[in-house]
Amino acid sequence: MGFLYRALQRLQEYSDIAEIGEIARRYFAMNAFDGVLTIIGVLMGNYTAGVRSSAIVVSTGLSTCVAMGISGLWGAYLTESAERKRGLDILENHTLSDLSGTKIGRASRAAVIIVALVDGLAPFAAALVVLSPFFFSALLKDVTASYYLSLGMAMVTLFSLGAFLGRVSKENLILSGLKMIGAGLIAVLLSYLLDTG
Amino acid sequence: MGKIRRLVLDVLKPHEPTIIELAGQLSDLNGVEAVNISIYEIDRRVENAKITIEGDNIHYERVQQVILENGGTVHSIDEVVAGKMIIEDAETPQDALR
Repeated sequence: MGFLYRALQRLQEYSDIAEIGEIARRYFAMNAFDGVLTIIGVLMGNYTAGVRSSAIVVSTGLSTCVAMGISGLWGAYLTESAERKRGLDILENHTLSDLSGTKIGRASRAAVIIVALVDGLAPFAAALVVLSPFFFSALLKDVTASYYLSLGMAMVTLFSLGAFLGRVSKENLILSGLKMIGAGLIAVLLSYLLDTG
Repeated sequence: MGKIRRLVLDVLKPHEPTIIELAGQLSDLNGVEAVNISIYEIDRRVENAKITIEGDNIHYERVQQVILENGGTVHSIDEVVAGKMIIEDAETPQDALR
């Protein structure tokens, strides 16, 4: 317990030094939003293309989730480590000392890992939540019900994300949630209109 | 060797970790009884701090280690008091010329 407490305390300290919380929050909201909208696109594409096999939807959906996760993880790791290195170099030019072995250097490295994990896991998890009804499609009999349920899950996830952002900005949670749902509805509508079949 | 009872250091440090954090860590050191940190110059990324430490047995190496660990560098040691008690610097005729 003592070890866990110390680890959490150190994490809090690193978060204060490297301002991890704010960046991670931003990445989380942005990428979870991306994840939900992308999976809506995949679902609508499958639906309008006449795919009625939940196995195909799960397979394409999971591939998309994994690709988004890797994209987030890799992209954030590379960009964040480049930015953090630059920031540390600038600070070292001012202090005229090597900061890599100090708390600041360690906080900077921790920030890269945490932000990369958040950036990768947020779209992966959000998309997986939306896709989850298809894992239980055997219980639902009709695959169309899974599509509706998934889209419903997507709207709930979007609303939760909006409410989360509303809490961050101390605005009306419901209004903020509805704004997010608006983006989801537009994505569904445009995908439906693209149906050429 | 006599015990160091007061140290006054001129330190350049980044804004983070803050001087609240630094003062807390320095005051946790064995032999330290009180710490005073004041910022006398502030830049966009770094700040100059005057750190005054008093105690009954201050270990300079440990003090320096804490400062380095927090990204700071000791520019100069501006005052040291060692011995059985704390004394202030003696007045000399040269001081009157200042």
